Amino acid sequence: MAATADFCRIKLALSESSPNRCSHAANFTRPGFFSLNKIEFQFHRRNYLSTGEAGVLRHKRRRGFRVCCQAAGTGVQPKSAPSDRDLELAARAGKDRLLKVPSSRIRNFSIIAHIDHGKSTLADKLLQMTGTVESREMKEQFLDNMDLERERGITIKLQAARMRFMYNNEPYCLNLIDTPGHVDFSYEVSRSLAACEGALLVVDASQGVEAQTLANVYLALENTLEIIPVLNKIDLPGAEPERVCREIEEVVGLDCSDAIYCSAKVGTLSPISFPEGIGINEILSAIVQKIPPPQDTAERPLRALIFDSYYDAYRGVIVYFRLIDGTIKKGDRILFMASGKDYYADEVGVLSPNQLQVDQLYAGEVGYLSASIRSVADARVGDTITHYSRKAEQSLPGYKEATPMVFCGLFPIDADQFHELRDALEKLQLNDAALKFEPETSSAMGFGFRCGFLGLLHMEIVQERLEREYNLSLITTAPSVVYKVNCVNGDTVECSNPSLLPEPGSRRSIEEPFVKIEMLTPKDYIGALMELAQDRRGDFKEIKFITENRASIIYELPLAEMVGDFFDQLKSRSKGYASMEYSVIGYKESDLIKLDIQINGDPVEPLSTIVHKDKAYAIGRALTQKLKELIPRQMFKVPIQACIGSKVIASEALSAIRKDVLAKCYERLILVLLCSDQAEGKKRMKAIGRVDVPQEAFMAVLKLEKEVL
Amino acid sequence: MLLKSSFTPLFIAIPTKHKLPNLSLPTVSKSFTQQCPPTVRQNATLNTTSLLLLHKLPPTSAYVHLPFCRKRCHYCDFPIIALGSSSSTLNKNNDDPRISNYVETLCREIKATNLNSSNNPPLKTVFFGGGTPSLVPPRLISSVLDALSSKFGMCGNAEISMEMDPGTFDAVAMKQLMNLGVNRVSLGVQAFQHELLKACGRAHGVHEVYEAVEIVKSCGVENWSVDLISSLPHQTPSMWEESLQLTVRAQPTHVSVYDLQVEQDTKFGVLYSPGEFPLPSENQSAEFYRTASRTLRDAGYDHYEISSYSKSGYRCKHNTTYWKNKPFYAFGLGSASYIGGVRFSRPRRLKEYMDYVQNLENGVVKCTGDGIIDSKDLATDVVMLSLRTADGLDMKYFREAFGDSLMFSICEVYRSHVESGHIICLDEQGRNVSANEFISLLSDEKVGYIRLSDPDGFLLSNELISLAFGAIAP
Repeated sequence: MAATADFCRIKLALSESSPNRCSHAANFTRPGFFSLNKIEFQFHRRNYLSTGEAGVLRHKRRRGFRVCCQAAGTGVQPKSAPSDRDLELAARAGKDRLLKVPSSRIRNFSIIAHIDHGKSTLADKLLQMTGTVESREMKEQFLDNMDLERERGITIKLQAARMRFMYNNEPYCLNLIDTPGHVDFSYEVSRSLAACEGALLVVDASQGVEAQTLANVYLALENTLEIIPVLNKIDLPGAEPERVCREIEEVVGLDCSDAIYCSAKVGTLSPISFPEGIGINEILSAIVQKIPPPQDTAERPLRALIFDSYYDAYRGVIVYFRLIDGTIKKGDRILFMASGKDYYADEVGVLSPNQLQVDQLYAGEVGYLSASIRSVADARVGDTITHYSRKAEQSLPGYKEATPMVFCGLFPIDADQFHELRDALEKLQLNDAALKFEPETSSAMGFGFRCGFLGLLHMEIVQERLEREYNLSLITTAPSVVYKVNCVNGDTVECSNPSLLPEPGSRRSIEEPFVKIEMLTPKDYIGALMELAQDRRGDFKEIKFITENRASIIYELPLAEMVGDFFDQLKSRSKGYASMEYSVIGYKESDLIKLDIQINGDPVEPLSTIVHKDKAYAIGRALTQKLKELIPRQMFKVPIQACIGSKVIASEALSAIRKDVLAKCYERLILVLLCSDQAEGKKRMKAIGRVDVPQEAFMAVLKLEKEVL
Repeated sequence: MLLKSSFTPLFIAIPTKHKLPNLSLPTVSKSFTQQCPPTVRQNATLNTTSLLLLHKLPPTSAYVHLPFCRKRCHYCDFPIIALGSSSSTLNKNNDDPRISNYVETLCREIKATNLNSSNNPPLKTVFFGGGTPSLVPPRLISSVLDALSSKFGMCGNAEISMEMDPGTFDAVAMKQLMNLGVNRVSLGVQAFQHELLKACGRAHGVHEVYEAVEIVKSCGVENWSVDLISSLPHQTPSMWEESLQLTVRAQPTHVSVYDLQVEQDTKFGVLYSPGEFPLPSENQSAEFYRTASRTLRDAGYDHYEISSYSKSGYRCKHNTTYWKNKPFYAFGLGSASYIGGVRFSRPRRLKEYMDYVQNLENGVVKCTGDGIIDSKDLATDVVMLSLRTADGLDMKYFREAFGDSLMFSICEVYRSHVESGHIICLDEQGRNVSANEFISLLSDEKVGYIRLSDPDGFLLSNELISLAFGAIAP
């Protein structure tokens, strides 16, 4: 029986990587093996067969349902669906997805979509329809396996899935490379697009093209990808597929006459009427028809593009790659061209979406390897893998080192957690080469780290993973950017921390990073968004109407103005309809000054900020007012001032307390409480001069800074 | 010489003054069981070692919690049991079973208490607090007192105080209680304005207040106290002055002035927030405190503790135990004891308290400590409790017990407050010294006492005490 034979050929590598999985990984193809591991093998076979039968049964039953509702849905469906037999074959073929196919029958593609346009749901459906994932194993957002990804409905880490699809009775191998959609990860996106020959452009038929979609489509076009437009959610009452088609044609310049109308979600919402979703088969067929196969360059020296890597506690770094040229097999000595590190590949396999070991991979295929690599920094995204003994002449183009753009301080609320925080950051860094951190000390917050991130989402995700996966309670300072200070003596100092800014006398000018942002919005909110950008020191560049109702506004503004709540503001001022995308365009000189806060005449270093001169007054006033509310009154009057150098620009005064006495009838019962209360109250005070500033005040001010900056 | 002093009767009233190299003390006290001389006035020299060893001594004070009230006052968050207005304590033949059952448990708790040594000194003070202890029939009070004296012994001249609320007792009951040995009455007046009493949810009116004062005086209770609360909602300065004047006119030997604390989970906590109308502002309520201090001082009362005033010789001996950080027993619902260095709070719920007593009898729980206590914790307790009294902190003994560095760091944080007048420094002769002298005294190791000034220092006592905490345990 074919299925059994196939089972014998493969080696099951469980991605869960339990330490005792070694026995499964033993090679089943060796002849003497059956007798050695007979019992275990039989167990596996029985297990396998039973699930296979169940799968077929289920497919049969579902088919019946589908037929009767297909009639109801024909109006929506522009193309005729393949016959039942095809589908069944396709489902069965999912099981043989490890069989080698010639490179002309490989299709590598990714999905480009804006947040919430249904990318992950569509991916789920594709996996299900091709039989890659059994229905019983299916869960929503199958490829997003981090809790955080599921909760937020976003994709953070890349995933890949090898699927098998029968088209005209020929088995095809489809490799889906799922990409994070967010602009913070645009480098990762560009690398995974570089690993594909084609892409599905998924657009919500009720919403239309959004800024992020555009950015990623342009990335795809740069990589000369074949793009298949797909209109998702066509069954929603508000869907306007014709309008959205026009939008795609006008904005992106893609021919939408062949656009596929689909709805990936119906299967989940009303499984009875549309168990398979609408248009999924058309998508699969279009992938085969339209996306070009990879070139057959298996004879050339090995070149494989790393599009993702992650750290596994048992096996070291797992590298996801696309073979561009050559072949790779288990045991090869491989070299990472950018980092110059070499390793022996312990394990080579495909992602389907669980890791399944194979012996060899050929040009055009997508797979993973593990080679006991200690840190993701050795195998960075974008790097080229080649053979140590037969080196490729040139590495693949486009490799960049990740440079953090946004910085913030992370401090443990409980000072005892400092070491835990360091360990956690080190562990995260194993997995995230873009994360940078260095120790920082603050008189208010104690010991912590200044961390660099790719962008705001990256920062938020790291913070949340630290709190969630490592159980740390953190204080985060307002995000800041790296300034370049041109000194009088001709030096240029990079500075991300206000307290490290060179003295005013020694600096000639300060430069800050600028970004170009593109906002897509319904025309009703153009005014509100322009006002927002103008407020944030934006420099207006261009406005164009992409359809009569939607406009694209382009501004250049300082990154520092964007790292605060810009995105939140954009969403709230446009009632959620606008979307944005940004790219860093470089450093420009700005009129920046350092704003200091003095409490009782003593400067409070952790509250210092670098702000634009025009905004200093407003921020100074807001900070002093907030501090006045937060600092407990003292036994004497305390001035709270915001200063630029020695010039006071805003001032508040804390009046002295008149009374703070416990004269309750306490002596009988609560002596215990009295002692502990008064001792507890003192614990978390930070003395600034003679003024005690509670930790809460710092936290609240930091929050405020996030709001006003 | 120390040994000699320990045999001077004068010192025996405060057993803590004994150096405790051996166990001679309890034996000595025992011989004086029936003739305890009156306590020495405050500032009596404590033996150095006693500051560190005080808590290891067997207690000679007992607090007894009698949680029954007619209803809960709006500011009260004590563990109480509201009986409802139907209950009448005057019906002597028919005790409320809730009270008699509770008192029975209470006596069981007293009996089950394990004594740290075989020969405990007899009790010198007993305090019945509540709740409204005057709701408990004298017959039951008698059984509690019996249980106490058979367990621990009782000095013949022990101070036995009881909190009594106007309208809950008559002259007969008062006489009966006096016959049982109750010799100090703390009268829960709280205010002399009908509308304020009503607004607090007190179960009595002004009329009952005058009546109760009359009963206490006519029965010849020599040592009695009036409790007042300031900063009540809608209280005006003139109302407060009136309350103080009427209190002075009633001529109690002791006055307690409490400042309203709005506690969470009380009716006031739900209705009001501190400092906001109808509660007086912080400045107004500070002014109430100053008025009380001035008025009562002018009337011949000594402001001997943050919220306590007394005529000469009538300080509350029981509460003095607390200020001196001496150990004490406690019995009853939610009460807190301090034995062997451990402050132990009993359960605040009746059911759990019953279980606790059961466990105590079975020897499963223990409310006493083994005398081991962190010296910094002890130092913070000593500082906090001493600074709440007008006598202040005895620096000589503090230094001898806790070392130079602690004493210096405390003096250091208080330097600016000596200048600002919140802290008063006394030399060894008890003479006030100026801020400049303070520094020179410090280097000569001649600082006698530091205390909070009245009323400015007292008003900011939390702040000032916290500063010392910061100096002790940074």
